[in-house]
Amino acid sequence: MIDLSPRFGTRRLVLAAFLAICLIRAVPAPAAATLVGKDAPDFALKGRDGKNLRLSEFRGQVVLVNFWARWAGDARLEMHALEHINTTYQRAGLVVLSVSVDEDLRRAREFAQSMGVSYPILFDTGSNVGRDYRLEKMPVTVMIDRAGVVRYLSVGFKRGDERAYLDQIRELLRE
Amino acid sequence: MNFKCRCVSSILGAGLLACAWAATTSAAVTAAPAVNPAKPTTAAAPAVATDAPPADFKTLDQEVQGVKKDVIDLNKDLFVLEEELLFPANTQVAVFLSMDVGTFFALDSVTVKIDNKEVTNYLYTAREASALLKGGVHRLYLGNLKVGKHELVAFFTGKGPVERDYRRGATIAFDKGVGAKYLELKVTDRVPKHQPEFMVKDWE
Repeated sequence: MIDLSPRFGTRRLVLAAFLAICLIRAVPAPAAATLVGKDAPDFALKGRDGKNLRLSEFRGQVVLVNFWARWAGDARLEMHALEHINTTYQRAGLVVLSVSVDEDLRRAREFAQSMGVSYPILFDTGSNVGRDYRLEKMPVTVMIDRAGVVRYLSVGFKRGDERAYLDQIRELLRE
Repeated sequence: MNFKCRCVSSILGAGLLACAWAATTSAAVTAAPAVNPAKPTTAAAPAVATDAPPADFKTLDQEVQGVKKDVIDLNKDLFVLEEELLFPANTQVAVFLSMDVGTFFALDSVTVKIDNKEVTNYLYTAREASALLKGGVHRLYLGNLKVGKHELVAFFTGKGPVERDYRRGATIAFDKGVGAKYLELKVTDRVPKHQPEFMVKDWE
């Protein structure tokens, strides 16, 4: 028989609330998520072709920045998905920038070369940009609107995630 | 900033207290002879008659002079501190970059070291480099430096003649005064040698 007296009910409620708070606190939001709604930290990095690119020079366009590393997640799968997005939405004003956070520049270059993607691949060997974007896990994809504000941020990648990217890109391109 | 403000306010407070104390002491000392001649008392008469100030007055006067000197020194220190903390523009140092022609050098990046400490490392995009070639001037660095002698070293990387990787340095030893200091890094073409030239100019 369950005791439904008001005193016991209140105690249960308090306990449930306490457990809920504990659970929320146990799963902290990624540090990078704090960037959403703020100006995207600017960076200038050297690309695969030896040219330097600066994020702020793409102000007025929707920018997708993908931070990746050879060793993290399925980088190949994500790069193929991003290549498809880039070829489809480039004409509509989308810019895809891929930033490798690999410390081994030579191997990162080889990997990027083997992928044969058409969008720029930049190398953050000093991890300065990774620090600015508070990256803790890989890969991370950041959607930046035409005003240079971080609108969406996704950590990790699995098959099917590109559909969420497309929804976000379409929304930002319509603005 | 808070720490600086607290420092300045506490120093100013201490200075004001010292000034107030010095003023009251000197007022009390100067007030005494002003009252005495007007109403000469019997006790003061023997002192006037001998025409020699007593030893107590002498030491007191020396003390007052010493305190006055301390106050002046303190005021001087306060002024210098105020200059250094409240007006950081005076400690400012700005480094600019300009390019002339650029036939023999395609700029990629510039690293600036002041007193052997890297203060900036700037990567130039094609758009920024072309803006420089059109006469633009880029402020590479803005910071604060103490008054005194300093050394600036700038490293330029890019593509030199015949598309070769090029890395050169330029150094200047400069004297930082009280006012703001402006330094210009200048890349020019040395036509007779078919080489770029890197200079650092000190704008007085």
